[in-house]
Amino acid sequence: MKKSLIYVDLENVKNSIEILEAVAQIHQGEDYESYAAVINNSAADADLNQFDYLINIQDQELKDYDQVAVTDVLEQLQNSYEFDSIIIPATHFGRMLAPRLAMRLHVGLVADVTKIKNDGENLELVRPAFSGRIMAGIVTNEKKPVMLTVRQNVFSYKKEAEQKAEVIDYQPQNYQSGQIELLDSQENEISYDIRESEILVSGGGGTLKDFDQIKLLADKLNAEVSASRKIIDNGKAARNIQVGQSGKTVSPDLYIALGISGAIEHVAGLKNIENIISVNVNKNAPICSLSDIVVEGDALEFVKKLSNKIDKNKDQKN
Amino acid sequence: MKIICLVKYVPNVEDIKYDYEENVLIRDNVKLILNPDDAAAVAFALKAKELEPEHQIEVVTMGPKSVKPFVEDLLRRPVDRAAVISDSAFAGSDTYATSKILASYLKDKEYDCILTGSKSLDGDTSHIPSQLGEILNLNQMSDIMSIDQDSFSKEEAVFEVESGDKSLTYRIKLPAILSLRKESGYELPYIKYENMSLDVSDSLKFISNEDLKLDKESIGLKGSLTKVADTYNKNFDQKDKTVVKNDDQGIDYVYSFLKKKGFV
Repeated sequence: MKKSLIYVDLENVKNSIEILEAVAQIHQGEDYESYAAVINNSAADADLNQFDYLINIQDQELKDYDQVAVTDVLEQLQNSYEFDSIIIPATHFGRMLAPRLAMRLHVGLVADVTKIKNDGENLELVRPAFSGRIMAGIVTNEKKPVMLTVRQNVFSYKKEAEQKAEVIDYQPQNYQSGQIELLDSQENEISYDIRESEILVSGGGGTLKDFDQIKLLADKLNAEVSASRKIIDNGKAARNIQVGQSGKTVSPDLYIALGISGAIEHVAGLKNIENIISVNVNKNAPICSLSDIVVEGDALEFVKKLSNKIDKNKDQKN
Repeated sequence: MKIICLVKYVPNVEDIKYDYEENVLIRDNVKLILNPDDAAAVAFALKAKELEPEHQIEVVTMGPKSVKPFVEDLLRRPVDRAAVISDSAFAGSDTYATSKILASYLKDKEYDCILTGSKSLDGDTSHIPSQLGEILNLNQMSDIMSIDQDSFSKEEAVFEVESGDKSLTYRIKLPAILSLRKESGYELPYIKYENMSLDVSDSLKFISNEDLKLDKESIGLKGSLTKVADTYNKNFDQKDKTVVKNDDQGIDYVYSFLKKKGFV
């Protein structure tokens, strides 16, 4: 029986659940069990029942932001359970924890895996390189565990009903402290998560002169607003609504790209999107070849016109 | 304070274009630049030195000898010392082997703080800072947006991190590895006119494996635990697009599409 450990970042439980699909692909054709490692989990998340085992690490002294301490604890777990694979969500914390743990265990690590090629003998982990411009297939040496990180919205896991994880209470032994203290935590202004949105109205360089105006169209469509890197770099919007390799990967049902040329940096953040409408002064902009409809023209003008059209049709209905 | 800045020179990825029709990378005329996150790390160190001129800054980089003029540029800004770790035996090292090479140089050095970028434009794994932390037994933090100048001392640093949806403020005991992001806004100062052609050769040294004496089996391709087996182009799914104008007819077309799909 193979064993796979998934670290649960309580800031983003969904990312860890999705990793179950990556586990299934890595251990395809083998019997395996999935273990979730959760630190000081006070509010039981029903979704965690999707794992076979839930290792509840309870220790109020253990800070889940201290990578030195958490690495010690996960090394102890590895020594007890001898996992065949360890997968860590590519969150802010996971991206620091994974390399440290891999170095501790002297195993290779593949970051931000987007695809798993498994022919039963060789395992190749595919990840983007050069800011998403090319994909590299990585093989690691034979040594166990296989270690990788995975970003949110890259794998989708179909939840099984009626699952109930077996809970294992775990008391960590001595671990080092990283001598770090969290002084303050502030939520960023934007309250929604573009990775969860069903419709995104997204602005790029073509909306720079009045980015806020695209909200008009977003409101009409009950959509949320996202942006390309150009908007963020110009300080017109908060970084957590950035789509792309250096931002987030999004999978809405509808993506309206306003004045976005579709540099590969941006397109790397679009995943499984059924419907794309792009508005651009240049009908040959790269994003246009990925679109269902290309509107050739000024993006902000389009916002006004389509918003009016939606209003008018609503009025007629009433 | 003794500050070490770890930097990397990378191909300017912005110059690499993608041909969606042919599904190939166009890598012509790609220039080498100082990785933007790493530039922010050096910029912070220089800013700290401006306030406390006794701070000593050493820049450490690994790469081909051809980065020399770029490193000299930093020495003129003025960074105190620089080390270029360069040897053909290091070529092909993955992040695991690279961390070991860098650590073997750093392990005997005195420092109060190591500053790095959070990620590099080319590899984009963000592995090196935390892996180095593991080898040198230092804590580390990525995605730093600002470091408090007033409290920055041999004992501790207070800094702010962007973690996605939160801004977090931490206090950490030094020495530690602090990894900045270019979005922190720390920018390298210009080289003063009088320093433009300053001779900095005394401050720059090259380090090879003759100095580090690492076992050949532990470096380069042989010492790497991961290998690139293959590269793939992205192969985007092209769609049968319909091109319309931004006029009444075009808007009608978009509207009926949205209606048909149930979005309005």
